[in-house]
Amino acid sequence: MSKSLICTCEDVTASEVEHAIGKGYCDIESVKRFTGFGTGICQGKQCLNAVARLLEDKAPKKPTPQQLMPFAPRPPLFPTELGYWASASFDPTRGSEGGVPGGMDIGFPTLRSEAPVKSKAKIVIIGGGIMGLALAWNLAEQGETDVVVLEKGYLCAGASGRNGGGIRAQWGTPTLIGLARRSIELMKRFARDMGINVWFRQGGYLFLAKSDAVVKKIERGAALHNQHGVPTQILTPDAARDVVPELTMTGVKAAAWNPKDAVIFPWPFLWGYAQQAQKRGVQVETFTDVVGFELGGGKITKVLTDRGEIACERVVLAAGAWSPQIARLAGVHLPNEPHRHEICSTEPLKPFLGPLVSVLDSGLYFSQSMRGEIVGGMGDPREPSAMNLGSTARFLSRYSQALTEQLPQAGRVKVLRQWSGPYDVTPDNSPILGKTPKLENLLHMHGFVGHGFMMAPAVAERMARWMATGESDELFERFTLSRFAEGRMEREDFIIG
Amino acid sequence: MPRFIPVDSPVTIELDGDQLQAREGEPVACAVLANDQLIFSRSPKYHRPRGPFCLTGACAQCLMRVDGIPNVPTCRTAVKPGMRLERQNAMPDVRIDLLRANDFVFRDWFNHHEFMAGWPIAEQVMLKIARQLSGLGVLPERPAEARQPAIIEEHELVVVGGGAAGLAAARQLSNRGVSYVLFEREAQVGGRLITGAEAGQPAPWNAPARVGAEVVGLFADDGKAFLAVIEGQRLHLVFYKRLLLTVGGHPMLPTFPNNDLPGVMSGRAVSTLIRRHGVLPGKTIACVGELSEARSLAELVKGAGGTAVAVGAEIERAHGLRAVNAVTVKPGGKIACEVIATCGPLSPAFELAKCGGAEVVWNAQARCFVVQADARGQTVNPTLFVAGEVRGPMSSSAAAEQGLAAADALAGGAGAP
Repeated sequence: MSKSLICTCEDVTASEVEHAIGKGYCDIESVKRFTGFGTGICQGKQCLNAVARLLEDKAPKKPTPQQLMPFAPRPPLFPTELGYWASASFDPTRGSEGGVPGGMDIGFPTLRSEAPVKSKAKIVIIGGGIMGLALAWNLAEQGETDVVVLEKGYLCAGASGRNGGGIRAQWGTPTLIGLARRSIELMKRFARDMGINVWFRQGGYLFLAKSDAVVKKIERGAALHNQHGVPTQILTPDAARDVVPELTMTGVKAAAWNPKDAVIFPWPFLWGYAQQAQKRGVQVETFTDVVGFELGGGKITKVLTDRGEIACERVVLAAGAWSPQIARLAGVHLPNEPHRHEICSTEPLKPFLGPLVSVLDSGLYFSQSMRGEIVGGMGDPREPSAMNLGSTARFLSRYSQALTEQLPQAGRVKVLRQWSGPYDVTPDNSPILGKTPKLENLLHMHGFVGHGFMMAPAVAERMARWMATGESDELFERFTLSRFAEGRMEREDFIIG
Repeated sequence: MPRFIPVDSPVTIELDGDQLQAREGEPVACAVLANDQLIFSRSPKYHRPRGPFCLTGACAQCLMRVDGIPNVPTCRTAVKPGMRLERQNAMPDVRIDLLRANDFVFRDWFNHHEFMAGWPIAEQVMLKIARQLSGLGVLPERPAEARQPAIIEEHELVVVGGGAAGLAAARQLSNRGVSYVLFEREAQVGGRLITGAEAGQPAPWNAPARVGAEVVGLFADDGKAFLAVIEGQRLHLVFYKRLLLTVGGHPMLPTFPNNDLPGVMSGRAVSTLIRRHGVLPGKTIACVGELSEARSLAELVKGAGGTAVAVGAEIERAHGLRAVNAVTVKPGGKIACEVIATCGPLSPAFELAKCGGAEVVWNAQARCFVVQADARGQTVNPTLFVAGEVRGPMSSSAAAEQGLAAADALAGGAGAP
């Protein structure tokens, strides 16, 4: 057929970009995510200007030159083999600072709508990531549609759009195991419930353990998982190699394997929740920044945005790693700290890797996406606390060394793009949920330490029920903000990445 | 034979089991084209046939499996005797790919978000099929050998790109006694002066340049800026105090029906083939688009024994099932041809500059993103300068003037910022 291609790497046609524009995606970052243009081998070199031109020609409201911004270019400039990155080494005693592009943020003031936000709503949700949007949809399901979701950037701008899409039930506490299992059930049905594909693939999670301490940890974990209906098995290195024959088992002492864990493609979850919530009357306001609060009588009475004020009865803070800076506007101190986690993706390869593989000792994890890329990352224990969305060569080097040790063929596989997102880290690695002491209508839904995405469907379901019915739920009594002052920690130690 | 300059002592390479004659050291893509092979691969979703477009590593249309390594840009890979090439992502092969059916089923585009979403059973089947069809190349067969450790370098001043702007800047820096290091990804400096359609050669070049050195990233770990450069199969981390980016741009794919057919190439790709490699990719070449480049290109085509048609015309569509066989232009209507060369300005390569802290803005006249800088090329990051096409479309002489101005500013003295 005579198609006009915009992006030949990913086979995105001009009609498809026009469809995205017609759906209301009028900024380049959103069009990129919705169509996939610019995500292939060339990383936008061919197609970026063509999309900007289409936006000028076809968008319902022609963007001004200031509103046309390229998506952030990230290293590498050309696809570059992991083996090259592995050949560099950086001082391992230092933390990772800096990054490119510098000064990145998720706010885009020039894209702000001129129309004011609605002046009154029962519930204002701050943060249009997976938490906020899933909650909005669940509230609508409970019959509560007088809800406004405020998002500073585009949908997927925050950590919900930057994660690796791993979904597992292998956790260290019964609560998280239960939430994760419920989320997996909901994610399996998501396409049916929301009418959008999320590319759910149950390839399993394979945790590799290289030290005795970590072996003990996975053994303890497996026993707990089995008690709670998760079929985790402990494998010998040889048996683990049967799961992924390409892996080397250098230094591996044992592995934990749950074939029911999965990977998904994160972005459509946000669109699915947002579209369905909007259909039920919820307003989702992107490119809208919260600039303050009006307080009175121990409550928030108004949320102040850069597009006007919203009088409201309840406010839910679901802004992930951005939550502390917003809470501060209401005079509330949160103990969360943002920690950058870097990630990268390779050229697309034919399917070879079933599970998500993670080395618990180092934090290395990698899986193969539904498009064939190896997507993976590795946390840096020396990463200082800061909101930093830049990319470093140090990460590429550490990750490439760790990945090629486990998968030596990957040395000749090329990195296409690296990026980063913030973990929202709490002192005990558990989330903050429920009410605020002395500010009773500010509700918390953050602090998920890098696993919020996989918990969100289940947490949002319970939070909406709790908010709508007032029935008590231990989640919102145990994981409160006040636990830190009361010295009641809820420690979770199965954190990776 | 597309070669109008014969190869003295050809070597043999293998393409899907067939033996091809090639010139050692030329780009693999060029050798394949010289053997009358236009189809290099099949596209990811619709399995449309694809052949080289840009020949500068800025698109994904010429990827092949080379000696067991997947997704290799054949335009950036030099021919070695006995090299084994395999075309990817086709069933059973690139000439007749049954999966092309996708292209006919999804006439306009494929709505991957909603296709079979939530359909009982069908969704599961679709996911399995989608997974099987995903990806381009196959994981390398063998474990990779470890590379030699990266080399750390430190320089006062680094220039990236040895085209019109970079050469002018380098010459001026040399004249003013300022030491610098220039990286050029091609085997020779010159940029469009030696690859573009416009006649002309760079002035004799005696200043130092590191050719075959490709900058693959600009980083700022721990607050210190450095480039990642691949040179001689080895990674170099090049720390610098000041940087001048004269990297030019990437050929842009204009939007028209069938713009991805094998045989549609950037004007720069066609002039490179003719001027650098003695290969005329088709007997009849439509030189469409921007008039002055199209005219110069038409002269090159004629000089190489080919026929140029539709010179400077506006393209409406390309025709052909597996490769170009005609073009419809305005004025002119439908004209038979084997290659369509799309002439026009490049898309400024702003990526490194943006990573280095420069501002990138939309230029409403040129309708492309450009790096913003003052008259001397200084960006908002005072240690980062840019000159030439990275700042927007311009002639090679204008690019050279910008290079000169940036060099003067970097050299300091009277009138320096």
